[in-house]
Amino acid sequence: MENKNNIFEIYTGIIGLAAMITGILNIIVWSGIYQTIDLGLFTIGGDDFFRWVWGSLVVIFGGIMLISGAKDIHKIEQFSKSFLGAVMIWIVAGTDIFATICENIPAGEESAEFFNSLSGFVSAFAPPYAPAVILLPFTLAFAVYYFRLENN
Amino acid sequence: MTTPTAKRWEIVDLIANRTVTAGEYKPSIKDYLSELTVKPLTGIPVALAVLYAFWSIFSSFAGALVTDGFMVKLFDNYWLPWIQNVWPNPDSVLYFLFVGDPLADNCFEAFGMLTSGLFVSIGVVLPAIFIFYLMMTILEDSGYLPRLAVLMDGLFHKIGLHGYAIVPAILGLGCNVPAVTATRNLETKKQRFIMMVLLAVFIPCGAQLGIMLDVIPETVGWVMLYLIIGFCLFGFILGKLIPGGNPEILIDIPPYRRPALQNICKKLWVKTKGFFINAIPFVLLGILFVNVLYLLGVIQALADLFAPLFVTWFGVPKETVGPLIAAFLRKDLAVAQLSTIAMTPYQMITAVVLISIYFPCVATFVVMLKEGVKELAAAVGVLAVIVFLYGGLIHLIGILLGVA
Repeated sequence: MENKNNIFEIYTGIIGLAAMITGILNIIVWSGIYQTIDLGLFTIGGDDFFRWVWGSLVVIFGGIMLISGAKDIHKIEQFSKSFLGAVMIWIVAGTDIFATICENIPAGEESAEFFNSLSGFVSAFAPPYAPAVILLPFTLAFAVYYFRLENN
Repeated sequence: MTTPTAKRWEIVDLIANRTVTAGEYKPSIKDYLSELTVKPLTGIPVALAVLYAFWSIFSSFAGALVTDGFMVKLFDNYWLPWIQNVWPNPDSVLYFLFVGDPLADNCFEAFGMLTSGLFVSIGVVLPAIFIFYLMMTILEDSGYLPRLAVLMDGLFHKIGLHGYAIVPAILGLGCNVPAVTATRNLETKKQRFIMMVLLAVFIPCGAQLGIMLDVIPETVGWVMLYLIIGFCLFGFILGKLIPGGNPEILIDIPPYRRPALQNICKKLWVKTKGFFINAIPFVLLGILFVNVLYLLGVIQALADLFAPLFVTWFGVPKETVGPLIAAFLRKDLAVAQLSTIAMTPYQMITAVVLISIYFPCVATFVVMLKEGVKELAAAVGVLAVIVFLYGGLIHLIGILLGVA
């Protein structure tokens, strides 16, 4: 049991650290030191000021909350901190995915059609992804743990 | 005959002793989450995330999906050419009032009641209002809104308000009409007056925000920054100057709950119906009224009269005076008009901030009137002073920075 907790503590710490680093990188790119960081599967950059800077701050805070709850995560008060950190990453990832859906249902300004083709819609979800979207599946473990706690 | 207070407390104790059993309570995960969302250290980052979600979903749905994705195409490619074809005599006054510019190729710039008026009400504001109220209802029913109120209480108390002022403040970002009505939830006359003035001056509505994001996206961040600073600055001053009480917040914080779909649908229907009845007729009639004023030369006369003030004091070009005067009835379209005028980026920021802090739109004006003639007159006086001072201050900052 102790070992399991240790693994979950380390796992939470790594996710939190990854969130913090990607959030800070986002801010560095926004400040103009780098143009864009593109590593194939994920990209840091963008032209939407609000989504970029505000979203990065939320990811950084999410990372900090994940890390602050990592130690003794089996305690409910510690887990709730990490869980809130994970929720913050879901918020940024979820709104990114929602924005992609909303932008790609219509056919686009130039097209005479109203709706995008199915292949056009699906291709919009190809990589690269924003860091929060990459982190999303790794944070789903916190949802599973939350529901287990709630049921108990 | 009334029971003395001490006697009443004795009765309360007696009932409590017989009915309440004290036991050990083991806090659940929801209790801890509830506490974390109210404590400033963890609550403020969560509030930042929730407001980010609010903003992002609002702009994705209302902007990218409905307005830009479908409504622009529907109105510009189908509605505008059709109405330009079927409406007789493009040189007539009626054509100018209802269809607007016969050469316009989009509803945005046509400025007729049935072109720009319908596009702004149905194509821009309605989707914004729909998604805005949906998000507000979810926040309210989930139990997050009272927590946000508690969290904001410290800041709002510095400006003569209390935490629940966050409700009209957020509502105002959708439409100032229900926001002014929501100020009735505040406890004292002082709080209601300050909130009404701050709403009318510093909170841009959904229609204006939508058009700002569409037409001048690179400027919106700076405009919002100026508005937030102005909100806090003048809130603080009004809080000090206006006599009256500002009692501590006392609200019941419900537990977090999953919102019920039926409740969401009901609330959404009532609020959206209210918008159809209260706001859409005002937008349409407002455009008609401004077009009549244009025809009679009133807008031009006012523009000439106020030109020296705008050019010298506010530091914006003379051409902006027309849109700024007309902003009383259609702030959103005034932003669109400004975007076509040649200006430096700083002048553009100043002009858009001026449109935002300028007198509220006619619909808000009517709702403020319902709150009382005296209150409206006082609010208008304070508004005029704030616009004059803050507009001049922004110009001064520009001069000091060497960009004005």
